[in-house]
Amino acid sequence: MQFTLFDTSSETFIMSVKSVSVHAKWIVGKVIGTKMQKTAKVRVTRLVLDQYLLKYYNKRKTYFAHDPLEQCTVGDVVLLKALPERRAKHVTHELAEIVYKVGNVIDPLTGKQVAGSLFRETLTDSMENPAGSLTEKLQELNISATSEILQKPSEV
Amino acid sequence: MPMKGRYPIRRTLEYLQKGDIVFKNTVKIMTVNYNTHGELSDGARKFVFFNIPQIQYKNPWVQVMMFKNVTPAPFLKFYLDDGDQVLVDAEGKDHKDISQHVKKILGKSEEVLQAEELARMVHSNPANFGPKKYCLRECMCEVEGQVPCPGLIPLPNEMRGKYKSQMKGTEV
Repeated sequence: MQFTLFDTSSETFIMSVKSVSVHAKWIVGKVIGTKMQKTAKVRVTRLVLDQYLLKYYNKRKTYFAHDPLEQCTVGDVVLLKALPERRAKHVTHELAEIVYKVGNVIDPLTGKQVAGSLFRETLTDSMENPAGSLTEKLQELNISATSEILQKPSEV
Repeated sequence: MPMKGRYPIRRTLEYLQKGDIVFKNTVKIMTVNYNTHGELSDGARKFVFFNIPQIQYKNPWVQVMMFKNVTPAPFLKFYLDDGDQVLVDAEGKDHKDISQHVKKILGKSEEVLQAEELARMVHSNPANFGPKKYCLRECMCEVEGQVPCPGLIPLPNEMRGKYKSQMKGTEV
């Protein structure tokens, strides 16, 4: 199915073939299953208006996304991009980006690791090169002890 | 009999149609991260409570997702068609400030909206008769002051072809 479109922003004719397999080009969803090889099952929620109550409720839909490196785990929040052509009978999207990795959420404002409403401070200061720092400290102590042996009692 | 719930005005068509923000065509996904407790998230919480239904009503093809208690600071994130992402900080802001800011950066301007409405009006001519989906009226019998539908009220004999042919037959 081919039809011409006039793009008002660039003022050119675009020949668009029905190449996009699905209506939704970008979606965000939560991974619910990774038991398939190189495929992630993603649940996408959209707000749908209840006609009588006039209130919005989440409506779920599952999509299958191609994940070549198998980097998704169950519970990740994931951004999917529509594939130009349908890859398999059900696989229509591919993994574009893991937005929030489960257990390792990184706050986009600060760039630090976060858990709920608290910051997770990683123990980097005390774990950096323990052996190297100890030997250096010992050498420093020796030097200081020999130089100040007459002046002050050496502090260990 | 009053409506149920707190602020049930949010559930009226008039309120939904009064939404300001119509997103540009490139915006595909909107994500709101906020916390359920804490004063800093208060603006974001009110934004979700009052403005999200209006936004979703005006932009039915944008996916709106809410995340609660994921990060300490509240923010909004927009995913555009080219792969661009827009991050809007909402910490400590009032819900009106947030909605005005979003309208300014990603909403269609007044001129664009009016131009679109004009185009729609030009496209649909109210003088046409046709299916309800495309035109206002289907048949002339619906208009006041015109001959009513013969399905409801029988036509006078002068206008009925059957009667006229019968009279012609008997006369001649």
